Amino acid sequence: MTTATAALAGLPRHAVATPVCAARDATTEPVWVRRTLIGLALAFLGLFLFMPLAVVFHQALSKGVAVYWRAVTDPDALAAIRLTLLAAAIAVPLNLVFGVAAAWAIARFEFRGKSLLTTFIDLPFSVSPVISGLIYVLVFGLQGWFGPWLADHDLKVIFAVPGIVLATIFVTFPYVARELIPLMQAQGAEEEEAAVVLGANGWQVLWRVTLPKVKWGLLYGVILCNARAMGEFGAVSVVSGHIRGLTNTLPLHVEILYNEYQFAAAFATASVLALLAIVTLGLKAWVEHQQNSPEPVPFDREPQP
Amino acid sequence: MSIDIRNVYRRFGDFTALDNVSLEVRTGELLALLGPSGGGKTTLLRVIAGLETVDSGQVLFHGEDSTDRHVRDRQVGFVFQHYALFRHMTIFENVAFGLRVRPRAQRPGEAQIRRKVHELLELVQLDWLADRYPHQLSGGQRQRIALARALAVEPSVLLLDEPFGALDAKVRKELRRWLRRLHDEMHITSVFVTHDQDEALEVADRVVVMNEGRIEQIGSPQEVYDHPATPFVYQFLGNVNLFHGRVQDGHAMIGPVAVPVAGMADSASAIAFARPHEIEIIRPAPGETGIAARVEHVLAVGSTVRIDLEPDGGAAAIHAEVSRSELRELGLVTGDRVLVRPRQVKVFEAA
Repeated sequence: MTTATAALAGLPRHAVATPVCAARDATTEPVWVRRTLIGLALAFLGLFLFMPLAVVFHQALSKGVAVYWRAVTDPDALAAIRLTLLAAAIAVPLNLVFGVAAAWAIARFEFRGKSLLTTFIDLPFSVSPVISGLIYVLVFGLQGWFGPWLADHDLKVIFAVPGIVLATIFVTFPYVARELIPLMQAQGAEEEEAAVVLGANGWQVLWRVTLPKVKWGLLYGVILCNARAMGEFGAVSVVSGHIRGLTNTLPLHVEILYNEYQFAAAFATASVLALLAIVTLGLKAWVEHQQNSPEPVPFDREPQP
Repeated sequence: MSIDIRNVYRRFGDFTALDNVSLEVRTGELLALLGPSGGGKTTLLRVIAGLETVDSGQVLFHGEDSTDRHVRDRQVGFVFQHYALFRHMTIFENVAFGLRVRPRAQRPGEAQIRRKVHELLELVQLDWLADRYPHQLSGGQRQRIALARALAVEPSVLLLDEPFGALDAKVRKELRRWLRRLHDEMHITSVFVTHDQDEALEVADRVVVMNEGRIEQIGSPQEVYDHPATPFVYQFLGNVNLFHGRVQDGHAMIGPVAVPVAGMADSASAIAFARPHEIEIIRPAPGETGIAARVEHVLAVGSTVRIDLEPDGGAAAIHAEVSRSELRELGLVTGDRVLVRPRQVKVFEAA
C-alpha cells in the first residue's frame, strides 16, 4: 500500500484524478476487509496474550509492593531463580557448541545417516517434555540402567541438579541447530573455500568466516534456546523431585506456590519469569532487526567515471 | 609456474567428471578451459586448486608432484564465479584477508598490509571502494575485488572459474579485455574456465576444449577455430553447417559435391562440416554442380549478410555468410533457386 501511494504521488495530477478507487492498488483488499481482519487479529492477541500478561502483573502486585518484594526475595524463590539461571547457563553454551557442530556437519557434508541425524535433532520438539523427563528417570533413576552404579558411587542425577540440567539440555537441543542449518545451506561454502585457498587454517575459517556469516542467526537461536531453558516445566518437573530451595526451578516454584493458595506470591514469582521472557523477546526483536539490515553503512551510488 | 596434469580421473557416483585428462599449462600463459556445462572443466580447475581430489592421476606444479598437497600450501589464487567475497568484511579487509591469516612469522606488519591492499585496489581501479561492503558493489566491481583478493597472496597460479559468467554482456566484454591486459602486465600463469567461446577465443593464449570429461582439442584460438580436431569442436566453436554423406572411391559425396578424403572405407557414412563463410552460393547454370536449394531468408544486418537456404529433399537448413558486395553481385532475394557448395569442408567418419 505504501509503495503504491508513493508511486502514485510521483505521477502528474491528472493521472490520479480518475475514480477515487483507482488510488487503491489492485492487489489490496477493500477498507472494511482490512479493518475487520486487523481488528480480529488485535482482539485475539489482546485476549490471549496481553490480558494474561497484564493479569500476572496485576495479581502479583494486588497485595501491595511489600508482599511482592517478600515473595521475590524469599530464600526459596531466590534459590529457584539461581537454579533456573544455572540450568540455562549450562544448557545454552552446550547446545550452542553442539548446534554449530551439527549444523556445520549437516550443511557442509554429505554422509551416511545424515537424514537420520537431522530427524534426531528434531526429536525433542516432537516428544512431549514429560516423556523426555521420564526417559532420564528410566536411565538414571534408582530402578534405571545406571541407577545402581550411580548409587554405588554416591552420585545423584535424578531429583538433583544434574538431572535438571540434563532435562533442560534435552528439550533445548534443537534450537540452535534448527536455526543454523537452513541458513548455512543457503549461504553455501564458497566463502569458506575462498578462505582456505587464501591460506586460512580450519580455526581461522571458523572464527573469521563461518561464525561471522551466521552470527545473527546464531544469536537468534541462542535467545530462543535460552527462553525455553528458563521456561521449561514438564521435563524438569519429572526429574526435579520438587525439593524447595534445592531442586526447584522458577516454573516449578510458581506451581508449588499456586497449589498452596499463595496466589500473590505465585504471581509475583511468575512475573519475574515473565520479565525474563520480555527481556528475551526484546533481544530477539533487536536481533531480527539486525538480521534484516546487516550493514549499517549508507549506500552511495557509484560515481560515473 | 608450469602445471602438469597427468592421466587424471575423477568420478562423482556414476558420473565421470574427468576421464583420463592430461594437460600441460605452460609458465606465464593464459589458458582457457572451454566446454559445455557438465564437461568437467570446473572440476579440472578445482583439481588444480586442490579443492577437489582425484581418483587417480597426478598434478605436478613445476615438475613437483603436488597431488596430495593441501589447498592452503599450493599458492594458487582462485576467483569464484559468484565472487565469494566475505560479506561481513569491508572491501579492504577482503583483500587483506590472505595476508592476515598468515602464520605470525610470515605475517607482514599493519603498514605493509595497508600499502599492499591499496596497491592492489589501485591495480583493479577500485581504491575508492575500500570501506564499502561487498553487497554495495556491482557485479563487475565485486569480481575485480575478488581478483585483487586472489592476487594479494602473490599466487604462482591464478585460477578463474567462469569469472564473467554472472555479468551482463557489456561488462563481460570490458572485463575480459581488462583481464587480458592485466595478464600481459603480470604474466602470471592463469587458467580460466568458460562456456563462452568468444571469451575463450578472444582472451586466451591457448584453448582447451573439453566435453564429457575428456579433452577434445588443445591449441591456439586460431587453431581450434580453423582446424577443429573433432566433430564436437566443430559444432561447439562458432556456427557450422553439418552435411551427411557417403564415401565413394576415396571421395565423400555430399549431395553431388565430391570431397576427396583419405583413409576412409568405401560406403562408410561421413559427416562434413563447413562454416557459414565457407559456403559458396551460385546461380544454377549448365555444367555447374552443387546442392540445389531455395533461398529462405536474407538478413543484411551488420557487415556480413546471413542467408538461410533450404536444400531440396528436406535436409537441414544451410546457413551461409557472404559479404555485401557478393550479395549485390548475386542479387539474391527470397525464393530464388540456387546451387550451394562448400568451398572448404572437413569430413569425419560418422560414429
